[in-house]
Amino acid sequence: MTFQVLDPTPETAPAAGRLAPRLPSLEGRTIGFISNGKEGTKGFFRHLDRMLREDHGVARVVSRTKSNYSAPADAPIVAEIRQWDAVISGIGD
Amino acid sequence: MPATMLADGGTNLQLASRTYDVDGIAAVQELYHSNGWTDGLPIVPPTAEAVAACLEWAMMPPDQLIGIEPVRGLAVTAEKLAINAVMAGCLPMHFPVVITAWTAMMREEFLMHGATASTGGCAVLVVMNGPIRRELGAAGTFNALGNSDRATAVIGRALRLCLINLMDVRPGAIDRSTLGHPGKFSFCVAEDEEDSSWLPLAEQRGIPKEASAVTVMAAGAPRQIMNEWTTKPEEILETFAAEMRANLRHYSIHPGNYALIIPKQLREHLQAAGWSKTDVAAFIHERARIHRREWATVGKGAVVRDRGDSVYPAMDSPDQLLVVAAGGPAGGFGAVIPPWLGNKSHAVTLAIGACVDCEPPKG
Repeated sequence: MTFQVLDPTPETAPAAGRLAPRLPSLEGRTIGFISNGKEGTKGFFRHLDRMLREDHGVARVVSRTKSNYSAPADAPIVAEIRQWDAVISGIGD
Repeated sequence: MPATMLADGGTNLQLASRTYDVDGIAAVQELYHSNGWTDGLPIVPPTAEAVAACLEWAMMPPDQLIGIEPVRGLAVTAEKLAINAVMAGCLPMHFPVVITAWTAMMREEFLMHGATASTGGCAVLVVMNGPIRRELGAAGTFNALGNSDRATAVIGRALRLCLINLMDVRPGAIDRSTLGHPGKFSFCVAEDEEDSSWLPLAEQRGIPKEASAVTVMAAGAPRQIMNEWTTKPEEILETFAAEMRANLRHYSIHPGNYALIIPKQLREHLQAAGWSKTDVAAFIHERARIHRREWATVGKGAVVRDRGDSVYPAMDSPDQLLVVAAGGPAGGFGAVIPPWLGNKSHAVTLAIGACVDCEPPKG
């Protein structure tokens, strides 16, 4: 017996975010961190902060933590992103 | 083969989904399994006829927008819900419950994305209330939290298949659960309204008595308790509260919606003593709380810090407790169903088939 069956998925890919243009250098730049606030983020971002400043000449690191690690970043954090040259979003699991 | 097709039966419903011609039932199973479209169990082939029957029962056109998932912005149509419902084993009469539960899950306060992606591995608990339970043969007695009946089994499964196929909530993809629990196959319970003097959960949460409704909650696995050695409400409920305190110590200190499933044997003691669901919730709210220092007794001393005297209630307020009358007639058992992660997700109750945009009757 032949069945004609239907596709259970959306079939169309959701609109994907695009990566921002790559920076030629991190020298003198401002880099933002958005942490989900989990325990594992603390050491990771602390280390990354030091690496960026000492090894890559980053001028400023701005660290922000989401109020709910399971939800999107809070609106004030998202609004602040415009002031940064690059952003690193990290989860702590 | 992408296609727009007409369903049979004179319905002229235009379905937009891609179709596959498959030779035989075994090949259907392999097609769906190999594409990652199942929960690992066999599915019912979603033919145009079966899907159209669901849509007709719910009086919805295929392209009816059920909602847009708030975090990732994914739109879901009635047709796609119906395909997954058929796969789960739903009959057309089950479909309105699936639609309503899914609509409730898409509410912002439910936080579907966080709850279904989390390492915490919760499932979606569905509680059915109202006349539709009886129409569907949904049983809230024997084995209420297990395979109690066809309706609750297929409705709960339909929601999981929708998550898998519509939201990409597959293990290792969006679903990052460390463990998960068996309720992720299906986790639906009908309240035993006929054998209880309590207000049904939906009515307690503001739905008119005559309406059928579902409540969805991002839920951990049930924790079963037993106390057959008292008839005193305070002692019975102390056992439930102790299990909640254990959850606060062993799992998560975040307050939120907890569900208590109270079967007939213990329920009758509470009701005979005149305790309503509101009374139960008030008592539990007082008793289900711990000091932060108690974490040191279960190996979590490192996070007590200087806040050992802080008190953490299981709920912010008594109305966060979902008390459900369900379970077989014998046995001094009950269950605590803890929240995924406190208030990060809120339980949502919606009436089935209610027209929220309809104008009120004139005159």
